[in-house]
Amino acid sequence: MNNLPDLLLIGLGLATPLIFAVLGGYFSERSGVINIGLEGMMLSSACATALVGVHYGPLAGLGAGILVATLLSVLHWVATQIYRIDHVISGMAVNAIAAGATNFANGKFATGSSTVTFSEIPFQVGAMVLAAGVAFMAVKTRFGLRLTAVGADPGMARLAGINPPRTRLWALLATGILTGLAGSYLVTETGVFTDNMTAGKGYIALAALILAGWRPIPSVAAALAFGLMSGISLKLQGQALGPVTLPEQFWTAAPYIITVIALAGFGARQRTPAGLGKF
Amino acid sequence: MKIKLGVLTLVAIGVLALAVAAAGKSPAEALRVLLQGSLGTPAARSGTLKELTPLLFASIGVFFALRAGLFNIGIEGQFLMGALTSCAVALKVTGPGGMVLALGAGAFAGALWALPAGLIKAYRNGHEVITTIMFNNIATAFAAWAVAGPLKAPDAGSPTSDNIDPSTWIGFWAVGGVRISHGIWIGILLVAGMWAWLRFRVAGYEFRCVGENATAAKYAGVNVPQQIMRAMLVSGAAGGLGGAIQVLSYEHRFYDGFSPGYGFDSLGVALMAGSQAWLLLPASALFGILAQGGTRLDIMGVPKGITVLVLGLVILVAAAIRYRREDSVE
Repeated sequence: MNNLPDLLLIGLGLATPLIFAVLGGYFSERSGVINIGLEGMMLSSACATALVGVHYGPLAGLGAGILVATLLSVLHWVATQIYRIDHVISGMAVNAIAAGATNFANGKFATGSSTVTFSEIPFQVGAMVLAAGVAFMAVKTRFGLRLTAVGADPGMARLAGINPPRTRLWALLATGILTGLAGSYLVTETGVFTDNMTAGKGYIALAALILAGWRPIPSVAAALAFGLMSGISLKLQGQALGPVTLPEQFWTAAPYIITVIALAGFGARQRTPAGLGKF
Repeated sequence: MKIKLGVLTLVAIGVLALAVAAAGKSPAEALRVLLQGSLGTPAARSGTLKELTPLLFASIGVFFALRAGLFNIGIEGQFLMGALTSCAVALKVTGPGGMVLALGAGAFAGALWALPAGLIKAYRNGHEVITTIMFNNIATAFAAWAVAGPLKAPDAGSPTSDNIDPSTWIGFWAVGGVRISHGIWIGILLVAGMWAWLRFRVAGYEFRCVGENATAAKYAGVNVPQQIMRAMLVSGAAGGLGGAIQVLSYEHRFYDGFSPGYGFDSLGVALMAGSQAWLLLPASALFGILAQGGTRLDIMGVPKGITVLVLGLVILVAAAIRYRREDSVE
C-alpha cells in the first residue's frame, strides 16, 4: 500500500460534508434541540444546488442549497419550539419531507444532461476554518456561552435573562446554513442529484457528535476518522488489510458499530447537554 | 392552540396542492388517480393489501414501544434482519413446518437486533433513537454483505438469494380476485392481543405507566429496566415477524434493497394511531393506499416522492394534535 497519501486525501474529501454537518449539528444540539433532521437538510440542499446550479451557475446553486436547508431548519424550530412537538418526531418529519420533496422536484425538474460542478478545495479549506471558528465561538463568545446555557438548563437560562426559543432560532439558522454547505458539497463531485444521495451521512455526523460528547474539535476529529473509514471501504473493496480480509460492508458499518460500543461502554450521558429535548 | 393547529393543517394541505399543481395536474385529478390505482380494481386492492402488510407489523412494533415511551426508529433494521433470517431458514427447511420455523426465526432475529438498544437504554440510559439508527445502518450493511456473499444464489447476476420452495410459502385467501395473505390475520390478532394486554393486564398497566412517567413508575415499584427491555424486545420481534411474513408471503426471496423504507413509513402509521391500538389498521391502510396509488401517480407524471412528502406532513400534523391533547390535560 504505497497510496497512503491518496487514501488520506480521499478520506478528507469524504469527511468534509460530515464536518459541515457535525458543526451544524453542534449548534442545534448544544442549544438543546435534538436534530436527526440533519440528513434531510443536507439532502434538500444537495437537490436545490443541483437543480438551481444547472440554470444559474454554481454560486446561485450554493445559495439555493443553503436557503432550502435553512428553511427546513426553521421548520424544525417552529415544530419543536412553537408546536412543542417531540424533537425526534419533528426530525423524522423533516427527513420525510426532504426525501419526498427532493424526489418530487428532481423527478419533475431535473434536466438530466447538464451538470453543475465546482471546485472542492474551497469547501475543504472552509470546513477547517469554520471548525476552528466554531470551537472559538463555543467558549469565547457571548453567543457560544448562551448556547451552552440554554442547552444545559433552559429554565435556569430563562431566569438569567436569556430567551431560550430565540437563542435556539439563531442556533438552528446556523444549523441550516452549515447543513446547506454540506449538501452543496455533495454535489461538487458528480454535479447531479440522485435520490437519497446523502445515504445516511447526516446520521454519521450525529454519531460523531455524540461520540465526541458534543464538543466541536473532538467532533470534527471523529468526522475525519469516519471519513477515512469510508475512504478505506472505497479503496480496499475487499482487499486484504493485514492478516484478515474484511468485507467492504464492514467499513461502511464501522462508524455505527463504534458509536454503539461507545454508547454502551462509557455510560455515555455525562457529557450530554442536560436540557436536550426540553423546554 | 386550536388556531395554531388549523394553520399547520392548512399549510400542509396547501403544500401538497401546490406540489401537485407544480406537476401540472389538478389536485382532484391526482386524488382520483390515487384512489383508482389503489382501490379501483381487484388487482389494485391486492396491491394495497401487499403494501399494507409490512406497514402493519412494523407499526405494531413502533406502537408497542411508544406505549412505554420509547421511540423505536430501529424497526427498519429489525424488519430487515427478520426477513433475512427467515429467508435463510426457509431455504434450508421447507414445508409448513419450515414456514412456522422461519416465522419464529424472523421474530427472534428482530428481537435480537433490538436487544442492544434495549440494554443500552435500560442500563446505560443511552438514547434508543441514536442506538437504533446505528443498528439500522449496520443491518443495511450486513444485509448487503449477506446477500452478496453467503446467501447469494449461485447463478444470480444481482445480489439476491434463491427462491424459497412454494411448500414453505404463506398462502392467500382469494375473495373476488382480491388476494388476502394469511399474514394479515396474524397482524390483526396481534393488534387485538396487544390492546387486551395493555388494557387488562397488570403488567400492561405498569408498562403504560413507564411511558407516562418513568420516574413516578419507578417510585411506585415498577421495574422500569425490565419494562424497557420488554418494550424493545417485543417491538423488535414484531418488526422481525413482519419481515418474515414479507419474505414468506410476497417476495419468496431476499435481495439487496429489500425494504423501500417500510420501517420509516410505519413510524408515521404508529404516530397517526396515537394511543389507540385499533387505529393501526386504518392508518396502515391509508399508507398502503398512498404507496400503491403513488405508483400510478408516478406513471401519470407526478413523482412518487409526493407520497413521502404526505408522510412527513402527516407526521407533523399528527404529532401536533397529540401534543395539544397533552397540553390540555395540564
